[in-house]
Amino acid sequence: MLVPMTKVHVIGHRRHLDEVLSFLHQRRALHLIDVGEDSTVPLPPLRIDEAQVNEIEGLRYLKARIDAVLGLVTHAPPPDRDPDSIGPADVEELRTQLDEVTPHLEELVTRRDDLTNEADVLPRYLASLVGLLPLMPETVDFAGYETTVLLIDSRSADVLRDLGASLADVLGTNFEIISDRVGPDTIGAVIVFPENRIAEIRSLLGREQLTQIRLPPRFHGMPFRQAITAMEHRLNELPDAIATTDAEIDRLVDSLGFWSACRVHLVHRLEQLDAVTHLGATLHTFVISGWAPERELASLRSALVHEVGNEVVIERPTPADTDRPPVLMENPAPARPFQFLVGLLGLPKYGTIDPTRLMALFLPFFFGIMLGDIAYGVLLATLSFFAHRRFRDRSDVVRDLAVVLMMSAGWSILWGIVYGEFLGDLGHRVFGLEPLWINREEAIEPLLVFALAVGAAHIVLGLVLGGFQALRSNNRTLFGERTAMLVSLIGLFFVVGVVADSLPAGVLPPAAGAVVVGLAVLIALGGPMGLLLGPLELIGTVGNVLSYLRLAAIGLASVYLARVANELGTAIPLAFGIIVAALFHALNLALGTFSPTIQSLRLHYVEFFDKFHEPGGTAFRPFGADDTARRPNAT
Amino acid sequence: MELGLIAIGAGLAVGLAAIATGIAQSRIGSAGIGAISEKEELTGRVILLLAIPETLVILGFAVAAMVILILAP
Repeated sequence: MLVPMTKVHVIGHRRHLDEVLSFLHQRRALHLIDVGEDSTVPLPPLRIDEAQVNEIEGLRYLKARIDAVLGLVTHAPPPDRDPDSIGPADVEELRTQLDEVTPHLEELVTRRDDLTNEADVLPRYLASLVGLLPLMPETVDFAGYETTVLLIDSRSADVLRDLGASLADVLGTNFEIISDRVGPDTIGAVIVFPENRIAEIRSLLGREQLTQIRLPPRFHGMPFRQAITAMEHRLNELPDAIATTDAEIDRLVDSLGFWSACRVHLVHRLEQLDAVTHLGATLHTFVISGWAPERELASLRSALVHEVGNEVVIERPTPADTDRPPVLMENPAPARPFQFLVGLLGLPKYGTIDPTRLMALFLPFFFGIMLGDIAYGVLLATLSFFAHRRFRDRSDVVRDLAVVLMMSAGWSILWGIVYGEFLGDLGHRVFGLEPLWINREEAIEPLLVFALAVGAAHIVLGLVLGGFQALRSNNRTLFGERTAMLVSLIGLFFVVGVVADSLPAGVLPPAAGAVVVGLAVLIALGGPMGLLLGPLELIGTVGNVLSYLRLAAIGLASVYLARVANELGTAIPLAFGIIVAALFHALNLALGTFSPTIQSLRLHYVEFFDKFHEPGGTAFRPFGADDTARRPNAT
Repeated sequence: MELGLIAIGAGLAVGLAAIATGIAQSRIGSAGIGAISEKEELTGRVILLLAIPETLVILGFAVAAMVILILAP
């Protein structure tokens, strides 16, 4: 149901503004309205003065600094104290700490990044160099010479010849090239040349078919083999160095819980300051306009007096007709997972019926009718139970869906008993399972009629609810339309009953009469286009009832697929047969989870809700409730 | 002969309806993905819109079922 809301005006002397905002923000009970949209407050909006603008800038800057620093590390520390207890002195302390600690942290992070880079890059050097080792003469001392290692694709081997020629032009004989195949299609070459001629050689070596491997600075000037040994040694020490630096970073970050708490406080303060522009003001007073749940009002009042004193009052103005209260849905625990499904289509407007509980009742019921298999139901229940356990804290959507599926699986098991289906007809074949009512494969007609009956009942319920709601909101036309539709529909059902020989022929005249009367009222209420719209709407509603045939159709698809699985399973020799059958049944389970969910949802959204549900409500978002602020590393 | 024609009739009923559904849903699907890539919150609605044309094939199935049940001896 929708929690009753009252309109609230908080009025007080302007010197209490900060206190009141802070109080309301912590209470998280008031949904703010911009004063410009509230017709009962004919006041101009509060203007922020320069001091507040500076404060906002300062706080934003601080928050950005914290984000920048905490963004360097993988995890932010949890707040070490209650963010609401932080005051201006703490903010000053924060500034000092930021100045002192940031350079240190940055240096650690840079060092860690460099080490990780080295650990990535060195193995590649090493691999190429080790491949080239056979090329190097044993005792050559290369001090004063630059060693460049090149990798060339074997298809461009002639580049090496050109290079040799160019080098000879520039350096004469004062260089050495040694090359050999080092990989399936790579040639490695080592070029040694005087260090002081580097500049001239660079451009030659910069050609596209040559990939240069430049040794890291710490290995420059070393003899080749020594370089390799040094690299291997370094590679061995790197993991420890990285681990030590990581530990240092973690230690430093863990001491920064104060920063996280400050950050949350900053976000709250910025939200409060941002709210200032939504308030109305006179020279000495401010007016905060909003909505609060009716049951919270008394405690809000007493708490306000207690915290701020009685220079601030809470008034309950009568809402204007155009006011749209925000909507807060509240339902018992079994129905709560369905709230987000209702929200997908759009929250109901305030004052209308909350369809969550109805959906909680009918959606699993329809699902059960469609899937209707004991084995599939059990499997689905188990899978969704584990999904619920795993994702309970991680994702609200998955958690809600898992609960919905568990309830649907329960109904599937019930209907599986009714239809006598266990993995399709396997139950019947193997242990003689008999249906309580019908076997879906053979008795298709009763199934179709049942689906239509369910549809008729559901639509009638929707129309009754719609009529009741129209009555409650004093909308005579709508009430008349819905009642007329109901009368026509029921009349039509009786007519169909007579035509199908289930009812005596004497029922026909009153039934037909009901149809005509209902149609006439519909046309009358339909306005200028009524003659066209009335019959169209009636046909539309009949179509809606027919739409419920999908309850039978999707079920049958599942039944026949299971039968195919079983037939294949028994036709092929045992081991393969079981595997094939299992695969088909898995496919059937996947389809049988997705399709009935979507179709049940669709039946609710399109056919059922259309009769009474009015989307367009705004969600209740109380001031201060932006809970993402309480999670670190969020904006 | 007659039985064969009845079977073909039922098959055509649901087959053609399925083609219609496929065409409809393919267009909705591609438009839906375009919308979602701009605005993530529309995902739920798009899935819903995608499922609405199922009616076409369900009614096709209903006709096929009627053909088989009522006409077949």
